Amino acid sequence: MTKAPQVLTEFFWLEQLHRIEAYVARGGYAALKKALAAMTPDQVHDEVKKAGLRGRGGAGFPAGVKWGFIPKGTDKPKYLCVNADEGEPGTFKDKYILSHDPHLLIEGIVLASYAVGIQAAYVYIRGEYEMIARRLEQAIDEARGAGFLGRNILGSGFDLEIVVHRGAGAYICGEETALLESLEGKRGNPRLKPPFPAVVGLFQCPTVINNVETLANVPGIIRNGAGWFLELGLPKDGGTRIFGVSGAVAKPGIYELPSGTSLREIIFTYASGMKDGRKLKAVIPGGMSSPILKAEEIDVRMDVDSVAAAGSMLGSGGIIVIAEDTPILQVLRRVAAFYAHESCGQCTPCRLGTSWIRKTVERMAAGRGQAGDVDALIRLAANIQGRTLCPLGDAAAMPVTAIARKFRAELEGGLATAGARP
Amino acid sequence: MIKLFIDGAAVEVPEGTTVFKAAEQGGIELPHFCFHPAFAPEGSCRLCLIQIEGSPKLELGCSTIVREGMKVVTQSPAVREARRGVLEFLLAEHPLDCPICDKAGECKLQDYSRDYGLTESVFREFKEKRDKKVAIGEKLLLDRERCIQCTRCVRFLAEITKSHELGVFERGVHAEIGILEGGPVRNGYSGNLVDLCPVGAITDTDFRFKTRPWFLSRGESVCPHCDRGCNIYVDYQPGFPRVPGSAKVFRIRPRTNEAVNGPWICDAGRYGYVRAQNEGRSDRPFWNKDGAKTELAWDTAMAILGDKLRALADAGRSDRVAVAATSWLTNEELFLLKKIFRDDFGAGRIVLCDPQPGEGDDFLHRPDRTPNARGARELGFDPAPPTLEALARGTEVLILFGPHIAERFAADELCAALRGIAVKVLVTPHLTGLEGLMDGVFASATPAEKDGSFTNFEGRIQPFVAAARPCPDVRSELAILAALAGSLGLRPDYYGRLTTAAAVRRELAKDIPFFGGAA
Amino acid sequence: MSAAFSPELVSKIEALAGRYPAKGAALLPVLHLVQSERGLVSAEDERAVAGLLGMPPIKVREVMTFYTMFRRSPVGRYHIQVCTNLSCSLAGGEALAAYLEAKLGVKLGGTTPDGRFTLTGVECLGACETAPCLMVNFDYYGNLDAARIDELLGSLT
Repeated sequence: MTKAPQVLTEFFWLEQLHRIEAYVARGGYAALKKALAAMTPDQVHDEVKKAGLRGRGGAGFPAGVKWGFIPKGTDKPKYLCVNADEGEPGTFKDKYILSHDPHLLIEGIVLASYAVGIQAAYVYIRGEYEMIARRLEQAIDEARGAGFLGRNILGSGFDLEIVVHRGAGAYICGEETALLESLEGKRGNPRLKPPFPAVVGLFQCPTVINNVETLANVPGIIRNGAGWFLELGLPKDGGTRIFGVSGAVAKPGIYELPSGTSLREIIFTYASGMKDGRKLKAVIPGGMSSPILKAEEIDVRMDVDSVAAAGSMLGSGGIIVIAEDTPILQVLRRVAAFYAHESCGQCTPCRLGTSWIRKTVERMAAGRGQAGDVDALIRLAANIQGRTLCPLGDAAAMPVTAIARKFRAELEGGLATAGARP
Repeated sequence: MIKLFIDGAAVEVPEGTTVFKAAEQGGIELPHFCFHPAFAPEGSCRLCLIQIEGSPKLELGCSTIVREGMKVVTQSPAVREARRGVLEFLLAEHPLDCPICDKAGECKLQDYSRDYGLTESVFREFKEKRDKKVAIGEKLLLDRERCIQCTRCVRFLAEITKSHELGVFERGVHAEIGILEGGPVRNGYSGNLVDLCPVGAITDTDFRFKTRPWFLSRGESVCPHCDRGCNIYVDYQPGFPRVPGSAKVFRIRPRTNEAVNGPWICDAGRYGYVRAQNEGRSDRPFWNKDGAKTELAWDTAMAILGDKLRALADAGRSDRVAVAATSWLTNEELFLLKKIFRDDFGAGRIVLCDPQPGEGDDFLHRPDRTPNARGARELGFDPAPPTLEALARGTEVLILFGPHIAERFAADELCAALRGIAVKVLVTPHLTGLEGLMDGVFASATPAEKDGSFTNFEGRIQPFVAAARPCPDVRSELAILAALAGSLGLRPDYYGRLTTAAAVRRELAKDIPFFGGAA
Repeated sequence: MSAAFSPELVSKIEALAGRYPAKGAALLPVLHLVQSERGLVSAEDERAVAGLLGMPPIKVREVMTFYTMFRRSPVGRYHIQVCTNLSCSLAGGEALAAYLEAKLGVKLGGTTPDGRFTLTGVECLGACETAPCLMVNFDYYGNLDAARIDELLGSLT
């Protein structure tokens, strides 16, 4: 089979790649030099828009369009927040970019900031990535030393500082408005929208929030053009994606593949199929928040629109593979426990609904399930979905609904054999 | 102006108005917990969900801004089902405390549960167990099981008093309201938290377990504890006999007046007034005869005073009568007092004897501890407190309104000055010990128990009617003055009509331009 | 009664605060700093931080109790956080946690009597490709089995 193009991860395994000398030696910061010397901010912005770069954090929203929401002619400072919270279970790709190729990210940050007119960029990195944060800070120091950050970058008159800001253990801070709250030194309580962060964001100023991998794609787009990017993937979802594969596969890890690669191919070709000859039961395609797919549904193409059409979400591309000998209740327990633990507690349906779901699932797991519990779970999830202040409610509800619907027989069978009492 | 449709009816509101406010204008109150007009929208309770044509998801009424031609539905099956879902979630972890909860009868969770048909719980799990009696302030108890995390209390202390005593700790279902060690709610406005809490999570220890809201009647009055004149509700039990030790007025609550106090009152007014209402009251007139205090029937006591005053008038010595009024009297009472004693009776001295000013704060509580200082000034009373010498010189009959003279002078000085006055009468709602120096004491009503009006510091004339009923032998000062005029035989055709506050107010409006618009 | 902040700590805090247009934004990095130097953040530390960053002390408590990484009570020299999320569960995470509980003689949430180890559960660490995994202080360890656990514990003196 032809090797898939490795545009982001090509040099990941090089020793000392994270050092600036190694990065520059293989063409790093060339895109930035080109942009600052020969392109206006609008031209950089247009190229990214033409490329149709879709967000790689989970929502898949086109980055160029998002950048365009920043009001023109505002006299408030504009900020860029890099979402390096990577809390979605099953997701670990940004960790590699941050630790193996931090300059790729830095170059992307500077290009994006140039395009939009950003004054300062904050990288919100999850607290557990302490070691990686230190490496990123080293890289930022190197970049500043080489004139790629700071004042009058490469003589362009454009200034930018990047600040690394650590989180402290809250999945909700991966949600963009909760990230802003946390960056401002508060509890990670998501904000009401509207107003949207592009208008009222960090410190009440216009703010762009982009995922690490999203920004890591910008240097390539500027160096090689929008057309190149689109060619790598699909017309509506260009470029490559770094898929993370974990669970019952022989070779868990990151796999950079074109958008639109089929899930089956990712699992059975690239990740070398099921571990120890086990049989496939189900796959969660895009991080825990995406609805589960049954074994017969894995021919879906892994691009934003195709997975949505299949009733799930490409999300963060965190593929979790579940083998047949895994009781689905085990999966449901982990799902229920996670969202109950991570709910910020601000709004009624999520605060109380995730806890109710967890309590019901735990009771089922303890052998005290009752007839109607599966329907109860579906009803609870339906009362959360679409009713909450932020998308965590949907993220909590949709997986439960999918598991309850697609594996009803197994769940209800489990109740019967566990000696359920009314 | 924006025109939109709420449940089919057209409503016109200024740009920037929320759907919630527009609905209110159209006569619809969207169900809500976290929303409060004094704060920015919070959007966390999720109860005010409404349907907007063209929007796939339900939207919040409290934070959605109206657009031209917007079509809002507030009662569709989908909306009702969504609200039911929210209530069901709240009830899942809410204790069934209604039988022991003070809020029962005025609890929004109760009301909405009834409105949305939630009568049986479907929650089969174990409820979270939490502390039910956390002392978060001198008079405040927090029940964490009842708390629905609306955060109104936290936001009040952040945005209004800016004292930040309460915060939200932990997260998810374990989120709880709390204080820091050694940091209870203490800012002079703590009682407002009880009103704000939509359920019985924050309760008032002054009111706890004393009665039920459905036993209470509600009267509208004005707080007399400073000259801001915050509007209040007086909650009382009609027909509740005020026997010693029993309370008749159970609580004072704010009455929203955007121009005066908004939706708040201070703790001094709230707790001070309910205490003043019920404690240390003088219940019936008495007269000191030869060292013995004899309780008298109302008419008897009036007759004695009337005789003494008429005796002086007949002897041409009306100028030997001194009257010490107080700015605790209403505009009508002060007017009547002046008319009787200055214009018709010819008393020698009419002064104001008011309490000492206290500490004001930068919010509602003002230093002047009377409700009607401005009114007294506009009625021509000299605000300068009198000297004892001036008051006592040549005085044979002294009529004191209010016991405040005892706050202004040392006890022995006062005693000495009063000894030289033959007849001393005190008209007061409260027994303060001053009665020992008096010959007669008339039990008078508190502002909550009479009709009248006060003029606040801004010159705002605020009329009020009696909210609570006093004991049978307690009379308003207006009734006392009217009865005196009658017993002195002063201009019956004039004073004969002036037996109600409304009638006096009409005269007042005619006589003094400042009060021109009052009637 | 914890000691007051040293001048060095104070200037590090002020340096952190200076990276933002509003001082309060430095709260999370400052709490990490204080915790790294003192092992935990006490109530007095909260008040000191609040003073330096210009916020009501209760705001610091709100943040301390919201985020799982901040500690108000001491932990062992090695804080072992074992992942309890899905990919690790699929790779035997529950058994791993049980093994650690047995080896250390404490339940999840407990600290060994000699103060060497605290064992807690943690949500997805972003290392699912090396499941089952855990974090010791800030170091990640994955692809664990009983033998590797024994080796790891042995190396943590």
